[in-house]
Amino acid sequence: MLPGFVRRDPPAVRWKYLARVTLFEGLNPRELRVLDGLLHERSYLKDEIIFDEGEEGQAIYIILTGKVAICRQGRRDDGHIAQYGPGDFFGDLALLDNSPRIAQARAVEDSRLAVFFRGDFVGLLETHSTLSSKLSLTLARLIGKRLREATLALTAYKERGEGA
Amino acid sequence: MTQHREVGPIVWSIVIAVTCLLLFALRSVLWLVVPCLLALIIYYGLRPAYKRLLLAGLGEQAAASVVIIGFALGSGLLLAGATPWMSARAESWQDAVTRYLSGGIDWLQGTLALLEAKFTLIRRLGLSATLSRELDQLTDEHAQAYGASLVVGLGTWVPALLLAPFLAFFFLRDGQAFERLLGRAVPNAYFERSLNLLHELDETAHAYFQGLLKLTVLDALALGLGLWLLGLSGAWLLGLLAAVLAWVPYVGSIVGCVIVVLVAATDFPKDPGIAYGAIALFIFVRLLDDFVFMPATIGRSLRVHPIASVLMLFVGGAIAGVAGLMLVLPLLGIALVVGETVGLVVTDPRLRARHAHARRLRALHASRDLA
Repeated sequence: MLPGFVRRDPPAVRWKYLARVTLFEGLNPRELRVLDGLLHERSYLKDEIIFDEGEEGQAIYIILTGKVAICRQGRRDDGHIAQYGPGDFFGDLALLDNSPRIAQARAVEDSRLAVFFRGDFVGLLETHSTLSSKLSLTLARLIGKRLREATLALTAYKERGEGA
Repeated sequence: MTQHREVGPIVWSIVIAVTCLLLFALRSVLWLVVPCLLALIIYYGLRPAYKRLLLAGLGEQAAASVVIIGFALGSGLLLAGATPWMSARAESWQDAVTRYLSGGIDWLQGTLALLEAKFTLIRRLGLSATLSRELDQLTDEHAQAYGASLVVGLGTWVPALLLAPFLAFFFLRDGQAFERLLGRAVPNAYFERSLNLLHELDETAHAYFQGLLKLTVLDALALGLGLWLLGLSGAWLLGLLAAVLAWVPYVGSIVGCVIVVLVAATDFPKDPGIAYGAIALFIFVRLLDDFVFMPATIGRSLRVHPIASVLMLFVGGAIAGVAGLMLVLPLLGIALVVGETVGLVVTDPRLRARHAHARRLRALHASRDLA
């Protein structure tokens, strides 16, 4: 154990938010502090665009406050895909590769987001193997869950089509 | 992963002009540039240890302090260990320098005499006699002046070098906060691309300085092994010295080679073959550097054509001397990344439109209760 005068606890406010994020489940306070040091905080007003469809993804976004809609570019009314709130994250595929964003992200209300950059994640893989393997595992689980949900939705959609 | 981007002639011209301007501007603070470069090398060398300490639970201040104090202690111990060994071998610095210089001169004169004995053309040129005359003149007229200016120069630079660990401490402690501070200054529309720019800058500098350290270790091992096989005293120390001198492109390698030849010629006055062997070893290690070590270490960090690198080295040397030679390639690499990314961000109409949209939203937000 390290003596108290050299140990630094994570800032209380951000700690509260980070601990709630599903992607960071299973991380201990020290790991959360390392991660906290890598996050950038941004404020977006309602209707401000966070990223565009087709743009090269560089970072994952974690919602601290507010709401964000994911929709097809230029189809704001009928192209709605998902809406996320505090504790959720989006743009997660950008952590894995630099493929283009598959949809547009737009703030539905005034929002504060924490941004985790892919380069920092790659850096973590080299310097903090335990932390990055926990993150990778959680990310793989969450992507797997979303894939299962998408497969189920597609199957249901096909069945409805065949039934009609 | 770095996105591949084509750089046009205009961006290249701007990048080269900015690099030259930076070198020109830095001329007046050269005494600070070399400690800064050393601090960056220390910073990138110690950063993995610093990050491990952060993960172990230390705060930034404590982790940076532990790492820098460890480095200072290690360097101090190394210096303390080396000092008695060095003082035991040399009666005094002045005597040692004189002894090695005269050993080198004797070797050079012996080599020329040998060549004159074998080749009539060289004998007719009278190179040996000319060299003796020039060396006598140099020793009589200029040795005092050069010696004094060397001592004064060292007196100016050594205290500045002590700044390096001090600067490295702040780079370690505040590097991440500085990156976040820069990030906060960038509008939302440009943020992700600019963040990528910062990351690439860091990666370029990191790869360059870590590559330089790896290259130094490889060079030191190759030279040390070669000199040890040749039977030179202090082979590993000489190898390390020559490898560190090679941080200054071209000039450093030549100076390193000259030092080793002087030692070889003095240690083996009856066997000039050892000095020739040392020269051959230097040429061999230089070739290894160019074709094996450098592409595997530093070469990966800078996406600059070799011809452009060589030309810029000449320009750097002409503008800012030895420090310019050391600085020009890292500065060029950084200016190139900034030039590429700024060019992409500023000329992207969609990003500009998004930024204008965000400004409108902020103006509306600020004035919503004023109507």
